[in-house]
Amino acid sequence: MLNIIHILNLLLPVLYLITVSAYYVDFIRKTAKLQNLKRYSLLITVALHLIYLLLRTIEFDHLPMTNKFEVFSLLALNIALCYVILEIWSDVRETGLFILTIPVIFQFLSSAFIKDLVDVPTVLNNKLLGIHVISALLGYSGFAVSAVYGVLYYILYKELKLNKFGLVFNRLPSLEHLEKLSYYSVICGFIFLTFAMIIGIVWLPQAFPNFSYLDPKLISTTVFWIIFGVGIMAKAVGNWYGKKVIKFYLIGFVVAMLSMFFANVLVKSFHVFY
Amino acid sequence: MNLIGISINHRTAPIELREALYLSRDEITELVAYLKENVLSCGFILSTCNRTELFGIHKYGKIDFNLILDALINFKKVDGISAKNFEKYFACSAVNHIFQVATGIDSLIIGDSQILGQAKEAFQLSEDLNFMDSILRRVYDTSLKVGKRAIKETKIGEGAVTISFAAVQVVEKIFSSLEEKSALVIGAGETGQLAALHLRDLGIGKLAVSNRTIERARNVAEKLDAEIIPFENLKDDLHRFDIIFSATSAEGLLIQFDDIKNVMKKRKGNPVCLMDIALPRDIDPTVRKLDNVFYNDIDSLKVVVDQNLKKRQEEIPLVKNIIMEEMINFYGWYNTLDVVPTIKTMREFFESIANDELEKIKNKVGTEEYEKINDMTRRLLGRLLHNPTMKLREIAEKGVNSEEVARQSLLVKSLFNLNGNDSYENEINEEINRQL
Repeated sequence: MLNIIHILNLLLPVLYLITVSAYYVDFIRKTAKLQNLKRYSLLITVALHLIYLLLRTIEFDHLPMTNKFEVFSLLALNIALCYVILEIWSDVRETGLFILTIPVIFQFLSSAFIKDLVDVPTVLNNKLLGIHVISALLGYSGFAVSAVYGVLYYILYKELKLNKFGLVFNRLPSLEHLEKLSYYSVICGFIFLTFAMIIGIVWLPQAFPNFSYLDPKLISTTVFWIIFGVGIMAKAVGNWYGKKVIKFYLIGFVVAMLSMFFANVLVKSFHVFY
Repeated sequence: MNLIGISINHRTAPIELREALYLSRDEITELVAYLKENVLSCGFILSTCNRTELFGIHKYGKIDFNLILDALINFKKVDGISAKNFEKYFACSAVNHIFQVATGIDSLIIGDSQILGQAKEAFQLSEDLNFMDSILRRVYDTSLKVGKRAIKETKIGEGAVTISFAAVQVVEKIFSSLEEKSALVIGAGETGQLAALHLRDLGIGKLAVSNRTIERARNVAEKLDAEIIPFENLKDDLHRFDIIFSATSAEGLLIQFDDIKNVMKKRKGNPVCLMDIALPRDIDPTVRKLDNVFYNDIDSLKVVVDQNLKKRQEEIPLVKNIIMEEMINFYGWYNTLDVVPTIKTMREFFESIANDELEKIKNKVGTEEYEKINDMTRRLLGRLLHNPTMKLREIAEKGVNSEEVARQSLLVKSLFNLNGNDSYENEINEEINRQL
């Protein structure tokens, strides 16, 4: 099994690269043949990635989240999975290039530096922590995908305002589509993050004696959770449209990234595992 | 093949002449009657406001363009028209031209989707007037096939190439589902009507029309099942619409910056798309500064049209490849026409020998034995002639080399003395000269 894991570890970044290349070529040239081919390539890659992580879990007897590079791989899969669901749901196939570039980077880093760890700290072997981390990663993936759609929205918006009818105009879906895709990604991300937070609140005080509600990571997460929550409510209840609501999601994502950076790198917290 | 044809189109004549030469259905019927009587054995006439094409085969195989040219010019007397306004086509070039017309690559607007339907009607009319023969019927079938293949296999028909359609293309980049949107068309002239028609075709949820003259608005509204907005109340209703097309002939600006500012306030920032396809413009172009207001005028939409035309131009070589493939198929079929009589004569020759021999023994054997011998003879003939028949067909279908087809046909004729002429060499030379 270890051999299969190692082969898949080498194969996955290549497969992601092939998939993104197919999306790139199709974005530039729009060929009928690649329309389905690129989707099959993506589905095969995601399926193999899922198998790879399952095999790792079985082989090493812990969820693949005990070090940064396992988390990178998990994050790559989550983003790719998130995109697969959105592509199948909306049948918008032209945005894959922009979203799937993120998994390519994460999987390359993961495949290059990942180690086969069998013995890990007890706390990282906890099942509730596993669900907490996977939910949180799904949440971040949703926000990341939403942010990419938000940026694409802004680019197309600007092109339309300036009456520029180039590649972006010809290939991207409509503004309304991009807004919807960004909105649904945020909702997905928000649901998973809420779930992760609930599990965290239940489990963290039991697992860590030095647990504190004033922990910087908890506070920063709560801040951007509120921002996204307000953004979702503004659209759902307040009938906010277009640029205004997209701006909200983008701010939320930037705050999320900055707060994660500060909480994980600059400030000492019980909540940092790696 | 003695197919000849003349064409007046955007390359050979100005629009005034092309329009003046346009032939209605009744006129075509009248002209065809004359042509049938005096010039052609079969043919067809395709006439639109942009081109008129007359193709056919002379009654006695003459290759004389002046005969059809004079017939057309004398029939539809148009001042200033002369032979130099016509392109002339013969045989292979005629077929090639008909195929090019069917695919739209010969049209003023490259990839024009209407021309295939117009060609179909032209051939159909010719058929109704009993003015078709098997060769032209085959040209018709193949031209339809070529036209359909060009649409399916290339991007020759893709992208908007008119201003009103380009405007709709831009609208589709802003809104995802037009069935949930409402649109207002200001101006019930030709451009406004075309825009309204495009929107209706794309399944717009609500359509409204406003025009200074209410009767004209009513006419368009009835045709397209649209609401009428009184011109006087126009500004009070603007905020109700997600898409506004303006195509009036008004001299000054009809919609000012402040009007749209108010609209956006009432719409709470909900995006609005303004398509100013009037000349001079109807909407103040500074409205584009407002958030969520997407404004386009003729100049900006022309960029879309030009881009799409360029893309279509790039598809022409692909379409020409399809035409070449179908030309090869067509001539493959056409070459079999020479072989068919040979095969028929050969089979008749063998049948007659068999019948002679059967006749000789008919009274010498019993009925039962005769039937058996008869069956055996037929089977024997079938088997003996199968290979030469198939070989001849194969050569004809495969080949564009008509000389080879002629040689093989004449070899068979000579071997069995099928037309009683022993001078094989002479006949080959005559046949090749005829083909050339």
